[in-house]
Amino acid sequence: MNLKRSAIVSILGLTLAAAAGMASAKQTVKLVFIGPLTGGVSANGIGGRNSADLAVRLRNQDPKAKYSYELVSYDDECKPNIAVQVATKAAADNSIIAGVTHYCSVTAVATVDTYHKFGLPVVVWGAVLPSITYANKFPEIHRVNGTMINQNDVAAKFMTGLKFKRWVVIHDTTDYGKGHNQYFSEYLKKYGGNIVGTFGVTADQQDFTTELTKAKELKPDVIYFGGLTPLGVRIRSQMEKLGINAVFEGTSGIKSDAFIEGLGNKLAEGSLSFIEGAPWEKLPGGLYFTGKYAQQKYNEAPEAYGPFAFAAANLIMDAIEKVGPNRKKVTAELGNVKDRDSIIGKVTFDDHGQNIVPLITKYVVQDGKWVVWEDSEYGSGKRKLKGQ
Amino acid sequence: MKRLIDPASAFPALISMAGVTLFTLLFLHAESQEAVLGLTLGAAIALLLLARFGWNARAAASFAGHSGAGNASVIIGVLVVVAVFYDQHFPLLMLASVLLYIVVCLGLNLQFGYAGVVNFAGAAFFGIGCYTAAVLTEHSALPHLLVVVAGGVMAAGIGSLLILPVLRTYGHYAALITIAFGILFRVFLEVNDALGGPQGMKLPGMEIFGWKLNDGLTFGDIEVSFYANYVLVALAMAAVAFMLVRRLERSWIGLNLDAVRLDETACAAFGIDVARWKITAFTLGNFLAGLAGAVYAMMTGFVAPNSFTFGDSLILVSIVILGGIGNPWGLTVATAIVLILPEKLQFIQEYRLLLYAGLVILILLFRPGGLMPRQVRNYFPGWKP
Repeated sequence: MNLKRSAIVSILGLTLAAAAGMASAKQTVKLVFIGPLTGGVSANGIGGRNSADLAVRLRNQDPKAKYSYELVSYDDECKPNIAVQVATKAAADNSIIAGVTHYCSVTAVATVDTYHKFGLPVVVWGAVLPSITYANKFPEIHRVNGTMINQNDVAAKFMTGLKFKRWVVIHDTTDYGKGHNQYFSEYLKKYGGNIVGTFGVTADQQDFTTELTKAKELKPDVIYFGGLTPLGVRIRSQMEKLGINAVFEGTSGIKSDAFIEGLGNKLAEGSLSFIEGAPWEKLPGGLYFTGKYAQQKYNEAPEAYGPFAFAAANLIMDAIEKVGPNRKKVTAELGNVKDRDSIIGKVTFDDHGQNIVPLITKYVVQDGKWVVWEDSEYGSGKRKLKGQ
Repeated sequence: MKRLIDPASAFPALISMAGVTLFTLLFLHAESQEAVLGLTLGAAIALLLLARFGWNARAAASFAGHSGAGNASVIIGVLVVVAVFYDQHFPLLMLASVLLYIVVCLGLNLQFGYAGVVNFAGAAFFGIGCYTAAVLTEHSALPHLLVVVAGGVMAAGIGSLLILPVLRTYGHYAALITIAFGILFRVFLEVNDALGGPQGMKLPGMEIFGWKLNDGLTFGDIEVSFYANYVLVALAMAAVAFMLVRRLERSWIGLNLDAVRLDETACAAFGIDVARWKITAFTLGNFLAGLAGAVYAMMTGFVAPNSFTFGDSLILVSIVILGGIGNPWGLTVATAIVLILPEKLQFIQEYRLLLYAGLVILILLFRPGGLMPRQVRNYFPGWKP
């Protein structure tokens, strides 16, 4: 049965290759992409899917590539039980050599055991919870994006450096928001900031009048928000209605075009976000990425983590080019990645497979665009954040 | 007395089951777009044609007349599927999930199919079973069979908190109470760090009397997927639960439950204790959900609040409605459709839930009573009024 299927797959692959006018001798290697393609955070999932797909398309155009690649995409719905299902499907399919997997932390945590059990090497492209890589020492698990620990260290240091004193923290009660709350509070204390109030809200809450009215009484300089874009849009706009005059400081979760579109340029102005990796818009590889992405005419934007999915797919294909389509060899090869250039800066995996990213980039919304802080008029002192 | 009137032959039932098994095999194996869509359309057309030639009615009569042979053929069908996919993890995982969801839906069927007690928190009771298993396997050395029972007992126990408000309300209001409970349950899990918070908890694999279900069996060169173990356990559970529900339906208890659903006032006037039967159905239904949850959690090895949202409860309710309220056979078919179809539509990616929802609406448009509407009680095989 498997023989028959692989025969069909290779025949299909051959016809496709022939149709594309390429050398038909290339062996087809399958990769899997897993992310949330439906549901509330599907914009990020689809952006990541397109980016991984772009990496595969570009590699297939490269005449020097030894193999031709095929990307299989599965939807994890941001739910752990569905994620275990699709992870089993991918990992148990021997024709799939490696995976670019998971945006939602909870799905990544749920599936690491599955990948380890079936020996499928994966590179996580978006989930930020530290325990995905650090709870176990599985050789199969790698991650190109940083954890929320680095992100909040930089955020706390930077904001206290701007002489803000009082914070109110609002976080969603998912692992993402709670983790951000934990690490940000820790680092803020270290750098001498003062948290005057902390509010946990559920990820699908619509009305924040209660929390924000209380927050207003506490007179914060900054509202720190740990959560994703849809919630961030609601909180920022309701802050305005209640007349809270504070800086809106978000996390990597709100760094998306949807955030600015949802609020309009005026309300979004001056919002802050911190994200792991080099400012890819400025790297030559980053421009290459955005240029190629635009050329392929995807319907959706790559969003903040698209470049990570792109980089993850490329790391995997580099490894396959070097050692051949063999899961064990690819796992070993990915473990050796050191100082590898990519569109998100240099990538080095530590012994847990975690990319140790020294770089966190600070973004601020200026005239309806996310601008790197150092290049913005805020950074040069031309404009001021609220209360500065 | 049993055979007052000569029932139909057993063959239509057996041939139908053979057909269904073959279709399941093909469908689980289908990967490509053309194959999945072709099989879906093919099945719809075949069913319409068969209905036209009166085959479906004959098969139904045959099933009714030979329930023993019919039931056995279903179990054999599942075993055949296991045997064919013995070394493939994914189809077996899906099969085990379907069987466990059947147990949950049988519980729901008992609640609002028979007694008319609405429950929009099915996923929450399922989740209570999952979390009970997670906590007990981590903090105690209780044998796993007892853990499974404990999952059911916990679900029934926590469900009893809802009994009073559910008894005091009717219709939409009772539905609202269960919805509130379901949402409360998820928020409680998310903020409760002792239960792993939003990150959830990990579980070990199941072990029954030294039989480790997470180790695949090997016979010589043949390696059987460890999910086959779970399919067998789930099959046993589903078979027992199915039998229980069928027996209940046929018994005087089932008659009482039906009476309570149809007219509470008339019931009370005839001396039937309405509260008693509502509580019985509600508790037993939750017990079944918890039971299935405990096994499901040990099979997937992970539980997190995200898996037990209101949306998941709605899916459970939609299974029972799609199958035909009150018909255990209908929900069995519907569970397979609702669980496997979205999975098989992965190739259309972000549009798959859209297409799937469209298919469900189409089915209900043409069969408003569900796929297999409930039949009138059949005490004498083959008897026609």
